Amino acid sequence: MLDMLNLMISLIIGILLGLLLREKQHFDLSKVTFAAVVVLIFSMGFTIGSNNDLLASMQSIGVNAIIILLLSIFFSVAFVKLARRVVKLE
Amino acid sequence: MIKYILTALILGAVAGYLNNNFGNLIANNWVSGYLFDFSLIVLLFLMGLAFGLNREAVAKLRKAGLKILVVPFSIALGSILGGLIGGLILRINVFASMAISAGYGWYTLAGPLVGQLFGVEFGALGFIVNFLRELLTIATISLTVKIDKYAPIAFGGATSMDTTLPVIVRYSGSESLIMAFSSGFTLSLIAPFTITAIAMLA
Repeated sequence: MLDMLNLMISLIIGILLGLLLREKQHFDLSKVTFAAVVVLIFSMGFTIGSNNDLLASMQSIGVNAIIILLLSIFFSVAFVKLARRVVKLE
Repeated sequence: MIKYILTALILGAVAGYLNNNFGNLIANNWVSGYLFDFSLIVLLFLMGLAFGLNREAVAKLRKAGLKILVVPFSIALGSILGGLIGGLILRINVFASMAISAGYGWYTLAGPLVGQLFGVEFGALGFIVNFLRELLTIATISLTVKIDKYAPIAFGGATSMDTTLPVIVRYSGSESLIMAFSSGFTLSLIAPFTITAIAMLA
């Protein structure tokens, strides 16, 4: 529970700070964001690589991924088509 | 971008494997725990900051009319429903599969965030699902645009504000630019919230 709250709080603090600072000057966050992403993905890879059980089950994870992905995309497209008809969106 | 991400993932996996199986040079938790948590918190803060600072996105949204928000919300609902049904079919934790689908293609966020909330196995699944969503959007766009003008935007999910935007505009036409951007922006903004909200329900 604390974990979820921590994550939510850091996101919200970021948004509020951004709203506060938006009139001040232009920030370029792309480099520091990129660095954070690379470190994060590296440590996720490390967590996966250091878990032998997980490595052994990679094949079934791949199959599961395809099923979840195809269902998600199917319903996304179906709902967009439906919503466009309902609200008459060009 | 994609090649750096995959390089980091592979290097991380190799380092983790070697460290775990050949003499634990450092405690696994040092990377999987501290470094991971720290960079995830920093990334979420930076994403929030980028959203808060983005003046143009809100202006564009307002100009296009709030009616276009039905598109990202339909995509969000459809994705989460797909995750629910997928979870039921596969007999896995349905909250985890819904949270994974609520990444809307944003794999650098969804993988680690779901991993943090539901465990590393679902983190790996979340990374793969969302990574493939971006690839599939680009690979199939010449066909999907025939289903519906906005089908590529539905495929792209959160990625339609940046990585898949150029391809979408090329196939769906320049008038879809605002829609693609607004939809991707809205989905990117709600992704971390929906993922954590689903985890709170679990």
